[in-house]
Amino acid sequence: MTDVLRIEDLSAGYGPLGVLHSVGLTVRAGERVGIIGLNGHGKSTLLKAIAGLTGWQSGSIKLNGIEIGGTRSQGPGRYTHKIVRMGLALMPQGDALFHGLTVADHLDSGAYTRRAWRERKQRREHVLAIFPPLEKLLGQPVGKLSGGERRMVSLARGLMDDAKLLLIDEPSLGLAPKISKGLIEALMRIDIKDGAMVIAEQNLSLLEGKVSRLIGLHAGKLKGGAVAPDMPLSETTHHHH
Amino acid sequence: MDPYYLALTTINLAAIYGLLALGISIIWSSLGMINMAQGFTFAVSGYGAWLVAQHISTNGLAVVAGGVITGALAGALIGGIAFIPLYDKPNFPLRSLIATLAISLMGGQCLLWIFTPRVKALPKIFGIGNVHFGPVVASYDKIGSIVCSAILLLVTLAWMKSSRRGLEIRAMMQNPEGAALVGVGLRSTAMAVMMVTGAMAGLAAVLLSQNYFISPTAGVTPLVKGMVVALAGGLGSVAGALIAAILIGFIEAVTAVGLGGQYVLITQFLFIIAVLLVRPRGIAGMIEHTRE
Repeated sequence: MTDVLRIEDLSAGYGPLGVLHSVGLTVRAGERVGIIGLNGHGKSTLLKAIAGLTGWQSGSIKLNGIEIGGTRSQGPGRYTHKIVRMGLALMPQGDALFHGLTVADHLDSGAYTRRAWRERKQRREHVLAIFPPLEKLLGQPVGKLSGGERRMVSLARGLMDDAKLLLIDEPSLGLAPKISKGLIEALMRIDIKDGAMVIAEQNLSLLEGKVSRLIGLHAGKLKGGAVAPDMPLSETTHHHH
Repeated sequence: MDPYYLALTTINLAAIYGLLALGISIIWSSLGMINMAQGFTFAVSGYGAWLVAQHISTNGLAVVAGGVITGALAGALIGGIAFIPLYDKPNFPLRSLIATLAISLMGGQCLLWIFTPRVKALPKIFGIGNVHFGPVVASYDKIGSIVCSAILLLVTLAWMKSSRRGLEIRAMMQNPEGAALVGVGLRSTAMAVMMVTGAMAGLAAVLLSQNYFISPTAGVTPLVKGMVVALAGGLGSVAGALIAAILIGFIEAVTAVGLGGQYVLITQFLFIIAVLLVRPRGIAGMIEHTRE
């Protein structure tokens, strides 16, 4: 079985600044992985590099066995829509929402494949079951919502299509502790099937005991657990060559 | 001064300027590009419609279609030259401004070369005559152009509201990175925007040519007015562009009737300066969220 995500020797940054230094990470189907690190150590850059949104990057990134990485020196975001269409959903910091559009528009926008667009009404019901507070807000422009509600919109939008890999950047950032806890619980309720989920978070206690693996990210390098358990490094390498 | 005539002229001008201004406004907010070649699209579309009238049919629908299709193609050409190769290069806003200006100037020269400076006239596609509604007397021209532009505006707005592509354009107007994250391809969406706005300019060209002649430089004044309406309305705001188009159309109608046609540009620019002094981001620039 292929890994949902397999990163090898990934370096990335912005202009003269290098943020990630030769990072390797494997995430297998059905896993929820937590990446723990302080501000400025590269969590967001790691998730952005997977989506092709960093200033520059090099190294291999495979999504379901298909190469989406490679060396790129400019044009952040140029290939992002293609990577998204291959099954990636990134819920970034700051949520990347469309402030003048309604919650319903956001959910529709997440249904980018033809099939999802046709089924957008049913899919909307499905995500509203995960985030019930959004039901009443469907007609509201997102610019008027609270921080917690916006985070829910961003997550719900990412769930509208059949993404194989969900990347969630700091779900708790800027939210009251009670609301962050509720959000993490909602994330754990999502049925990832044969996909996987990676959550970047500063707050270790929010994820502890809830995810399959916790990995530390310090000064642009991953510490411990970066390869899926019960599978030694040599074997995973062998598997793919 | 006949108030009904004034109102009708206002709506007529507002509809035509609205078509141009909305195009400029949508291009700016979704593509981040000031399209100086919108006037070129306008002029080319006039010739497209004229060629159809000369060689294919003088049927009103055929002439309108000729203008609209030429406009869409010109929009695609501008997008292909000024947006696709430049958008991810540094300093894109300035480069694309210069590129579209260059297209506009070169295109104008090409039109001069191909069609000579002699002006052309389109057939009166709506016929000649007047309709009487009680005290109101309206010429076929005015009714036809108001109805046509209202239809195109409504169809465009409904398409933007209900289709996937329209949602993608609205998403891109608000947040290009967020749009990429929901699978919106910048290039194909940009080309769609350029073609739709080109078609709007094309229709405006056919409608305005019912009263003015077609010439290689016919696009300059409409470009300036479209730009001014878009700025006064608040770049990126659909509602703002429509409100500003009505105000500018009203000022033009009042000035032309009260003072004389030669003062139109003066009063319009005085109005714009006044608006921008009070509201630097335009009439609706603060109401709706626009691209920073």
